[in-house]
Amino acid sequence: MRKAVFNVNNKEYTVEIEEDLRLLDLIRNTLNLTGTKEGCGEGECGACSVLMDGEVVNSCLVLAFQAEGKKIETIENLDREDGTLHPIQQAFLEEGAIQCGFCTPGMVLSAKALLDKNPAPSKHDIRESISGNLCRCTGYNKIAEAIEKAAETLEKEESDSGTARRGTK
Amino acid sequence: MRDLVQNVYQAKDTDSILNLLDQYQDEAKIVAGGTDLIIQMREGNVSPPVLIDISSILEIREIKEEKNTIELGSTATFTDIEKHVFFNHSLSAIAKAARSIGSPQIRNRATVGGNICNASPAADMLPPLLAMDAMVVLKSKQQTRVLPLSEFITGKEETLLKSNELLEKIRFQKLNPNEGLGFSKLGVRNALAIARLSLAVYVEWDENDMCQNVRIASGALGIKAQREWDVERFMKGKCLNNSLFAEVAAFLEESTMKRLAGRSTMNFKRYAVQGVFKQALDEALEDMERRMIYEKGSF
Repeated sequence: MRKAVFNVNNKEYTVEIEEDLRLLDLIRNTLNLTGTKEGCGEGECGACSVLMDGEVVNSCLVLAFQAEGKKIETIENLDREDGTLHPIQQAFLEEGAIQCGFCTPGMVLSAKALLDKNPAPSKHDIRESISGNLCRCTGYNKIAEAIEKAAETLEKEESDSGTARRGTK
Repeated sequence: MRDLVQNVYQAKDTDSILNLLDQYQDEAKIVAGGTDLIIQMREGNVSPPVLIDISSILEIREIKEEKNTIELGSTATFTDIEKHVFFNHSLSAIAKAARSIGSPQIRNRATVGGNICNASPAADMLPPLLAMDAMVVLKSKQQTRVLPLSEFITGKEETLLKSNELLEKIRFQKLNPNEGLGFSKLGVRNALAIARLSLAVYVEWDENDMCQNVRIASGALGIKAQREWDVERFMKGKCLNNSLFAEVAAFLEESTMKRLAGRSTMNFKRYAVQGVFKQALDEALEDMERRMIYEKGSF
């Protein structure tokens, strides 16, 4: 066992961990953040996707000790301070991009990793961004459409807040 | 019962890796992206008592462009390579090979050094690096060794890496305008596909369409990713035309049938290898033409 400090969703956790604990198990079992799912456990399905220093990774293929000193973001961090959903989550609901929901946290985080870096992605960029996330229900079209819609919403929010900022000057 | 990992270290610099390797020798295993090792550990195939994480060390992640050479830090991820300006503009076959690997999640973690040291017969980055005649720089506390990648990879998941050594970087020469590199991979789908067959082709052509030099490397066409020396010898000094291509294709078919004799995949690979070769060669020639046009344009 070793004592380790983790930054998950902007919160510091000091916990005792086994040396070979996976980041996925740390998140789900030690920190009880069960929004992150375990699917295949070998990096094929993307259900366990989280963001590490802003990059999407499979948390089943990262050992917890490798994540010390890194910023981890899980699906629990997405809703906004006023309790409303993140525009990506909202778009998933509105576009019917969720059926059983098991792949959804990973899909949403892959979409977030994309939109954080590329606010106006092409259809190809969107498909590429979720190519590491398997969905056995929706057939992907609705998910891709939801991400496109979320990109529009986020861009509108951005330009509105820009206008507002300029307006207050 | 599974053996437990007793000690883990998140190394902060190259020296601390070398000291730890010197201290623990066989007991220690280096982990970078972890995309292969963690699966192997969970399957119980490897159980290292000590793990040294090198994925946070920036000094061995750098992709350095010098006047005539490229140095690829061993912990550069496939995302780093895929997005790097040099590979996108000047050696796109390497960016293409990086992009063909896994998924965004895998490419964000998996490293070129891990791909080399795991030495899977289907490793995607090995054929293009072999075709570039890359050298590996191996460092231990006592010494630095530089070996050709083709000698470093000795068999299926076997290399010349010693237990106290770190693969620090990979080095190769930049290409001249009369040279080109192409890469082609056959997988079952776009994302996450493990190569069923891949080939990288390097060519140097003179103005009379004569093949001055050629290096061909294959993946998943035998027990290791390897140079296809016989095919290279066959092509060298010959003129590029359709009949040469047909002769090389026949040569490849025959050598594939010999090498994979008795394997169920032989029957499709004997044909597939010809198509994959054509694609890789065409791409190498296009690459060479692009470089020539660029060279002329820059005068």
